[in-house]
Amino acid sequence: MNSNVWVLTFADGISIATTLILASLGAIITERSGVINLGIEGMLLMGAVTAFLVGDGTHNIWLALFLAVLVGMAMATVHAVLTITLRSNQIVSGLALVIFGTGLSQFIGKSVEGKPRPVRIEPIDFGALSDIPIIGPVVFNHDPITYLTWVGALIASWYLFRTRPGLVLRATGDAPATVDAQGVSVAAVRYAHTIAGGALVGLAGGWFMLARGTAWSQAATTNGIGWIALALVVFAAWRPLRAIIGAVLFGFTLQVPYTLQGQQIRIFPPEILQMLPYLATLAVLVVLSTPRARRLLGAPTMLGQPFVRDER
Amino acid sequence: MIIGRTRIELEPRLNSPRWLVLAVPLASVFLALSVGGIFLMLNGHSPVQTYSKLLSSGYTTFYGITDTLGLATPLICTGLAAAFAFRMNLFNIGEEGQMYLGMIGGAWAGIALADHLPALVAVPVVLAIGALTGGLWVLVPAVLRAKLGTSEIVSTLLLNYVALNLVNYFIFGSRGFFRDPSTSFPQGRAVSANARLGNFGTTNTYPTLVIAALLAIVLWWFIRNSNYGYETSVYADSPNTARYAGMNATRLTISVLLVSGALAGLGGAMYVVGPAGKVDPGLLQIGLGYAGIVVASLARYNFVAVVITAILFAGLRIGGAALQISSNPVPIAIAVVLQGSVLLFALGGEIFRRNRIRIRRTQPVVFSTKADA
Repeated sequence: MNSNVWVLTFADGISIATTLILASLGAIITERSGVINLGIEGMLLMGAVTAFLVGDGTHNIWLALFLAVLVGMAMATVHAVLTITLRSNQIVSGLALVIFGTGLSQFIGKSVEGKPRPVRIEPIDFGALSDIPIIGPVVFNHDPITYLTWVGALIASWYLFRTRPGLVLRATGDAPATVDAQGVSVAAVRYAHTIAGGALVGLAGGWFMLARGTAWSQAATTNGIGWIALALVVFAAWRPLRAIIGAVLFGFTLQVPYTLQGQQIRIFPPEILQMLPYLATLAVLVVLSTPRARRLLGAPTMLGQPFVRDER
Repeated sequence: MIIGRTRIELEPRLNSPRWLVLAVPLASVFLALSVGGIFLMLNGHSPVQTYSKLLSSGYTTFYGITDTLGLATPLICTGLAAAFAFRMNLFNIGEEGQMYLGMIGGAWAGIALADHLPALVAVPVVLAIGALTGGLWVLVPAVLRAKLGTSEIVSTLLLNYVALNLVNYFIFGSRGFFRDPSTSFPQGRAVSANARLGNFGTTNTYPTLVIAALLAIVLWWFIRNSNYGYETSVYADSPNTARYAGMNATRLTISVLLVSGALAGLGGAMYVVGPAGKVDPGLLQIGLGYAGIVVASLARYNFVAVVITAILFAGLRIGGAALQISSNPVPIAIAVVLQGSVLLFALGGEIFRRNRIRIRRTQPVVFSTKADA
């Protein structure tokens, strides 16, 4: 085995990370407003199947991604109505979205099950730049959405910490009563950011299908990436830039089993290797729950709590 | 909330009227069927025909009903598992994996121990060991939650994927203890005949159904009448009150999650004792663990209601399977779509059960602000 393989694994990890960054950015924005949406896995699947079907029908990548975004927004809207207006339990509503999304994506994807991916988002051609050793495959061999995702994380970070709406957003997650007393509608802030988060998750699913997926294979298409993205939010301490670092690490972990298999290295059987990303995620969660780490993290204080103004 | 000059207020109800307790779930089912109907039509199927076939094959014929009851048996267990944890605001969503582990543990006991035990003892031992392994699978998330506050939601869920790969490893990836050595076809090694319960007649219903239903009643009684049940109820309502009253939160959290895992594991072991008789990857295909969460939520964490809801849900699944045998097969996933949408509508309906909606005309507000949205 040569070092080149590991460079490629890392480059692949960066590529997978795009889905994780997009999905966890969506979750960060949503959770910063005080709404926790556990439905990500279901929304990813719906985004993926939508992109596949539209790509299959029209061969238009951008239309496929756009509709995946819309589907993500629609599902987030359901969650918003249930949890913000109707004050349902956010955990159960998110789980219901996962079940609904898993079922519906399987239902509408039945006709294309096992069919190879119709269109592919191609990497940008940087010419000679992508031939540079190490830097070439790692930096100059990705598709437009991947680069946009990095820029998007920068913008999200700037929005959260450097703008007034970002300040209001963070305040809504930490002290909704204060925001309300300032005359800002808590519900409006939560709706806007839950739906915006849904758009990012939908894009994550659509991109994953058209850039990384090989065929539509039901729930196994995303294989729990949505849950890893949720753990990543904790890892990133609800900060967009840290989500990039975390996503690259997690993406690398997700890719390692395939590399080892491809290299015919049989230290572990493939089924055991496939467990590693989930076990690694769990281990990271544990480390992050130690009291010391917890102080540094700073989750939105009112995460998961419906806001009801004390009237009279 | 104010829309124009109409003010909509929510007034908490002290107790919900009886008709609403029934009306909300019925309306949820109706609305879910409508949503499913839209997707059926878009896919070129007649909703009316599909639903009538779905309902008649799941709930009306003799074999339909007995198939439904057979499938409901492990589902009751996962439903009880979810209800037991969720009612204490412990969101164990790892029933799926805990059930797989119950299947593995049960099959281990059925292969290794059952031959040395009298038939009367073998089945209870298999069930108990299945429950034990299911409980052990949630031990790490439970301790982490109790000691460090690690979210049990993500940790239990991640372990589902680990459990899934573990079953695949035992059957497809290795030639070890759990795999049938007599054939190169990947399948589980059969457990001893001592560890099996016969089915009723020619049906797919097994006596484990009775055990599951009795267990639901016992749990219901136990939570209402025991000190432990009282403590969990107090803790569910207000963890602070429980702490002031000197209840041990760590012990309660860990024990509730362990019991929840054990109940799910029992479901997996019942699958071994009943239809499967081995570690069977077929269990990985039907998502009974996730469905258990839906069942528990719809039953509003009431153990007896879990039994009824589980049977209704299993019928959907059996009916869904029948839909595939046709010239224009309807994907079985329609059953999952219906499950998800029933849950979404039932959640939304909760607010009408808990609150009275008052609509009032208001005077125009003079110092209008956006604050009231």
